[in-house]
Amino acid sequence: MIKDKISSQEIIDLVASKASVSKRAAEEFLKMMISSIEDALYAGEQVKIKNFGTFKLQWNEPRKSVNIQTGGDILLAGYHKVTFVPDSILKDLVNEPFAHLEPVELDDESTTDLQKEESSDVALDPLRVFTEQATEIKDLLSEIQALSPAKQLILIDGENLETSKEKEVDRSNNQKVRIEIPDYVFVDEPSVVESNVDKAELTEPQEIKSYIYNQLEKKNVEYEQYVVDFKESTLIASEVIQSEENAVEFDSTSFIDSIKPIRKRKTWLMASLLLVFLVGGFISLYLFNSGVKSSSDKFLSGAMNELVYVKDCVSNWICPKPKRAPRTEVLIVPKDTLSAASINDNDVDSLQLLFDNPRVYTEFIATEQLRRSSRLTLISLKYYGAKDFWVYIYEANKERISNPDDISSGTLIRIPKLDSRLIDASNPRCIKKAKELHDQYVKR
Amino acid sequence: MNHKELIASMAAKMNAPKSVVADLLETTIATCTELLADGKTIGFQSFGNFEVRKKEERLSVHPSTQIRTLIPPKLVVNFKQSNILKDKLKDLPHND
Repeated sequence: MIKDKISSQEIIDLVASKASVSKRAAEEFLKMMISSIEDALYAGEQVKIKNFGTFKLQWNEPRKSVNIQTGGDILLAGYHKVTFVPDSILKDLVNEPFAHLEPVELDDESTTDLQKEESSDVALDPLRVFTEQATEIKDLLSEIQALSPAKQLILIDGENLETSKEKEVDRSNNQKVRIEIPDYVFVDEPSVVESNVDKAELTEPQEIKSYIYNQLEKKNVEYEQYVVDFKESTLIASEVIQSEENAVEFDSTSFIDSIKPIRKRKTWLMASLLLVFLVGGFISLYLFNSGVKSSSDKFLSGAMNELVYVKDCVSNWICPKPKRAPRTEVLIVPKDTLSAASINDNDVDSLQLLFDNPRVYTEFIATEQLRRSSRLTLISLKYYGAKDFWVYIYEANKERISNPDDISSGTLIRIPKLDSRLIDASNPRCIKKAKELHDQYVKR
Repeated sequence: MNHKELIASMAAKMNAPKSVVADLLETTIATCTELLADGKTIGFQSFGNFEVRKKEERLSVHPSTQIRTLIPPKLVVNFKQSNILKDKLKDLPHND
């Protein structure tokens, strides 16, 4: 910023040169404009100027105030005030540097409840752990969804169910969380049971299924026990409060310490057992795919898919291991989608090649002069349709831009012509690659 | 008074055709807008100052749903009338 304030004389000069009229004419015009606006305001009207804004007159009531020196009351006279409401076009133009920011809805469970819990009640700690787990499950599910497009349909059902549950949870108190999550897994379970009860070949999967079922029941029982335990502990705690306050904290914390190790041990045990059954499931599936090629094959693999999904959910829930999800994906691709998957593989490979090759910028579609309010991300949005691809503009203009965070105005930059596959905003891989480059350039 | 009426009244005062006035007004507004977009302050003698102010980010809570939203920072145009204009407006009676 060289100079902040522009006087009316400078405005007159600028207008005169732009409209190619004499300075006197421009000055007269500006005076007329202001006096016209004033006259209209005196008449009690509001003045609207296209693409600029609206001037209005506002009456400020007289108000009482206190004289700081004497302490006596003084009456400030009422006065008229000219207010200006900028037009949306002007608003957007001025706000351009911050235009990419959007309001963020905060998860009130993670902030308000956390603070409350920490400050007020130590006994609520296990509840927080459960809510955290619930959000973890949600994150993992969305991760799986992003990694395996073939499963999307099945997953969407599950996700909808869960998000609706989650919303309920948000509204109701925290106690519901722990009861509802097992419920949700149970909802999925019966459909699997019905679909393949009478298939003789499915002995192994059935075992898994019943095992999961048992585990879930156990888990549920465990949870219920927690509820009971927790209620008891709060009862005790409330009793103790009446007698002595210091003892409360001691009681509740020791109670939490006593339940935590047990749960951890159990989850590890279950995780290892599940791993064994998962491997068993893969082997049986492999046998199905290579050996038996009957008409029931398709149905079986479909059913297995569903089953494995449930299994994934459960295993992720008990022991989050995001890497396992893609592996199961590859192994249990149904027959009819195999060809599609291979095509997809080719696509991905060429894309990877594109990513790995150093980009050479020879063709340019446009040049842009940077202004003070210019941002590479906004330029990228303009030409490529997404902000993330600014890194390519930066790469092509490295010799002109020393620091992507601090661009100097007046610089002429060239917008490179890019392979359309590289800047496919709908492809998460392209976005990911751009983000990687972003990290590389910004966090040097 | 809207844009057209403003142009008409100015044209009458200046004894100039409306099209000329409209063109001049458009250039003036475009110049002002450009300067404001660059974050400059424009001061019109005896009228007031246009300046760009930054509103800091803030946390808003919906009163009935209790949803907490983080509002990002933004730049807004602010107009402050000059004291000359304020004094002129003192004579104006208020009727409400």
